[in-house]
Amino acid sequence: MSATDTTLVTTFFKWFLANWRQNIIYIGFVVIFVVFAVTLNDRGFLNPNNLLNIVRQTTMIAVMAVAMTFVLSAGEIDLSVGAVAGLASVTVAMAISVAGPFAGIVAGLATGIAIGIFNGLLTTKVGIPSFLTTLAMMGVAKGIAMWMSDTAAVPILSQGYAWWFGGGSIGAIPVLLFWMLLFGIIGHLLLRRTSFGRRVLATGGGEQAASYSGINTAQVKFRVLVLSSSAAAIAGMLYAGRLQSGRFQLGEGDELSVIAAAVLGGTSLFGGKGTVIGTIVGALMIGLINNGLILMGLEFSQQLIARGGIIILAVALSQKRF
Amino acid sequence: MSTVAVRMKGISKHFGGVKALDNVDFEVLSGEIHALLGGNGAGKSTILKVLNGVHVPNSGAIEVAGIPLTIHTPAASRAAGIAMNYQEMSLVPTLSVAQNVFLTRETVSNGLINDTDAERKTADLFKILEVEIDPAAIVANLGAGQKQLTEIVKAISQDARVLILDEPSTALAVSDVERLFTLLRKLKADGVAVIYVSHRMDEIARIADRATILRDGKHVTTAPIENLPIGTMIEHIVGKRSLGLADVERKSVARGDIALELRGICGRDKPRDISLSIHKGEVVGLAGLLGSGRTSLAKLIAGIEPITSGEILINEQAVNIRRPSDAIAAGVALVPEARATQGVIPDHSVADNITLAVLDKLSSAGFVNLKEICHQADAQIGNLSIKTGSRDHAVNTLSGGNQQKVVIGKWLAANPDVFVLDEPTAGIDIGSKSEIIQMVRDLASLGKAILMISSELSELLSACDRIIVMADGRAVSDIQRTALDDPGEINSNATQRLQVAEQRLQIAIQDALIEGQEVSHVSH
Repeated sequence: MSATDTTLVTTFFKWFLANWRQNIIYIGFVVIFVVFAVTLNDRGFLNPNNLLNIVRQTTMIAVMAVAMTFVLSAGEIDLSVGAVAGLASVTVAMAISVAGPFAGIVAGLATGIAIGIFNGLLTTKVGIPSFLTTLAMMGVAKGIAMWMSDTAAVPILSQGYAWWFGGGSIGAIPVLLFWMLLFGIIGHLLLRRTSFGRRVLATGGGEQAASYSGINTAQVKFRVLVLSSSAAAIAGMLYAGRLQSGRFQLGEGDELSVIAAAVLGGTSLFGGKGTVIGTIVGALMIGLINNGLILMGLEFSQQLIARGGIIILAVALSQKRF
Repeated sequence: MSTVAVRMKGISKHFGGVKALDNVDFEVLSGEIHALLGGNGAGKSTILKVLNGVHVPNSGAIEVAGIPLTIHTPAASRAAGIAMNYQEMSLVPTLSVAQNVFLTRETVSNGLINDTDAERKTADLFKILEVEIDPAAIVANLGAGQKQLTEIVKAISQDARVLILDEPSTALAVSDVERLFTLLRKLKADGVAVIYVSHRMDEIARIADRATILRDGKHVTTAPIENLPIGTMIEHIVGKRSLGLADVERKSVARGDIALELRGICGRDKPRDISLSIHKGEVVGLAGLLGSGRTSLAKLIAGIEPITSGEILINEQAVNIRRPSDAIAAGVALVPEARATQGVIPDHSVADNITLAVLDKLSSAGFVNLKEICHQADAQIGNLSIKTGSRDHAVNTLSGGNQQKVVIGKWLAANPDVFVLDEPTAGIDIGSKSEIIQMVRDLASLGKAILMISSELSELLSACDRIIVMADGRAVSDIQRTALDDPGEINSNATQRLQVAEQRLQIAIQDALIEGQEVSHVSH
């Protein structure tokens, strides 16, 4: 090994030692992937179909988690995303059956925007913490979805809609992968490279300082909550397209995976710090863990325990004091 | 010939019945550094908040660069070119220096922010202003001095023509103060008007061109700094004492054994190497400016901040204090500075607050003995004559002075030997202040050892038997209270005596600052 190589290696090693906590998600992702690849190879883990399945199962979480990254970065939280996804799947399915796919898309998006406006106004104008606003909204959205659909699945017969929103694939590549990439790229640019993103990070990083600098922090909070509900509605529309039906149960409990994906990725629950790329990898890691645990043949109960344990371990490792 | 940057004429401001500003004139020229001086409650921060648009004046007129300022909002003042340094409050800790400087004014090309450009522009600004900070550094990782400079540069980059600095050097090391002064001289040469508030008169003598002194909401004098030697400044600031505290009688109490002894106590940053002892029945005051390490010392004794070296002895027994419960068990009670958050639970009742520290003593098998609670609460309410509707009233319905009595009552219930009082009269009206000071003397006559911190020198002089002056984390001098009285003026009245003592203590504090800096220079 030449001298320059050695210095490069030591430089990298030093960088790694100084920064491993920040990059724990990427390290963790690779470690888990390698462990599964070795131990589960005979059960088809590395089979391209299995890997694409992980993408299919993860996209909706990733879409919601990208928006959640903005909400958390602004120092707020949105617990209603899972229920909003379920409600949007119902409204989109019903609107398609009455007025066709285009009306369905409009109805789905309108559902998300309307709930986001409610969440935003209650949080910023009435002053209810977003934790409570969205906790209550979770129940309201689920209730509306059950009531509208009479708790039954609403079928979607439009093949075009189903292809675009989750069911289709181009060759072997599922359309869902493009949705994930689209949200990842737009979300990353929006957070890192636009003044909106900068205002979001400033609001969560130091609300007083942000408002002294002339930022309308209430408006920022309102916008991230609308953004989050809209993304949740799109996730619901993807569920509906993939399963060719709308049901109130779709997205149930997703809020936990969504928040876990963002936090695993390095977004702070206390605001001011967020990364969309980390969030996408966090979502993929949750999908990876779920897939691996299923292939291992664990029962659902065991999966829940193992998944919880791995998430706690990953977040604990990223803490400074640990 | 420099032009007038700010002209405030006949400004008055009332809060309820209290006149915070009474017909005050204040004028600052472009290209000058103008010191604004006065004691606590003199109206310094009120007049700055009027200029800054936070307060609307009841009467008077403001002109900025010759143009009348008629709308009194922070936005209007900012638009007129007035910037106030909020002591690190306008920086977002999670963003970089350049991102903070250009927050809300980012360079955007094709809809995307260009941070490299912001860093380049920040670097240019820093170069012009001779500031050495990495524009890409995250603000949370900067030292206090660098944060301060960043904040000033941010204000200047927004075309501020009038810069208000409220105690900018408080959190700064000596070398950072030099950098700050270099920057201010640079800004002065560029024609910026700087309003500089500080209690450090040595600094003011070095940096300011002129000074305005306020006292009790009134304008006392405005003069070039050459005409204001430190002694004259102090005379103007202290002025004639109003009655109130002077009539608190300082009965001498027989000193008992040593109750609290500190041997070479150091904290993480401050204080440094403090040794002192307080006898039973003795009140010792800690004087010094903000950042001198007084509150840190109180926190070390109360177990809130860790001791890095040294020893604490209580009743001549070495004790190991690592958390507040250790201190309480050892017999130390802290009456903290921030009453609403650290002293009381505002929504809870007087009785609940008074018995909070002794809940275990008043419970059996985990159940709280309600009768004992009522008994204990009533005893303290009577003992300290706390004015409350009943023991069941929430503490936040009481006046500031009575809330403070609740805090003291809470600790009396625990019967400690040592009381540490941090700014015990903060936010309390003048009438109740002397009542609190009287209570401090009463505690001493009960045989308690008391360490009292106060920024109001007249209070320290009224309450203490001995005053220790701190600067830069060290105890610089230890003065017997009687040594501050003028032996030649035995026959003058109490108010005058207090006034003389206050001037002497002021001079001792300013001397300590200079001495403290020399010591740190040697040790660094």
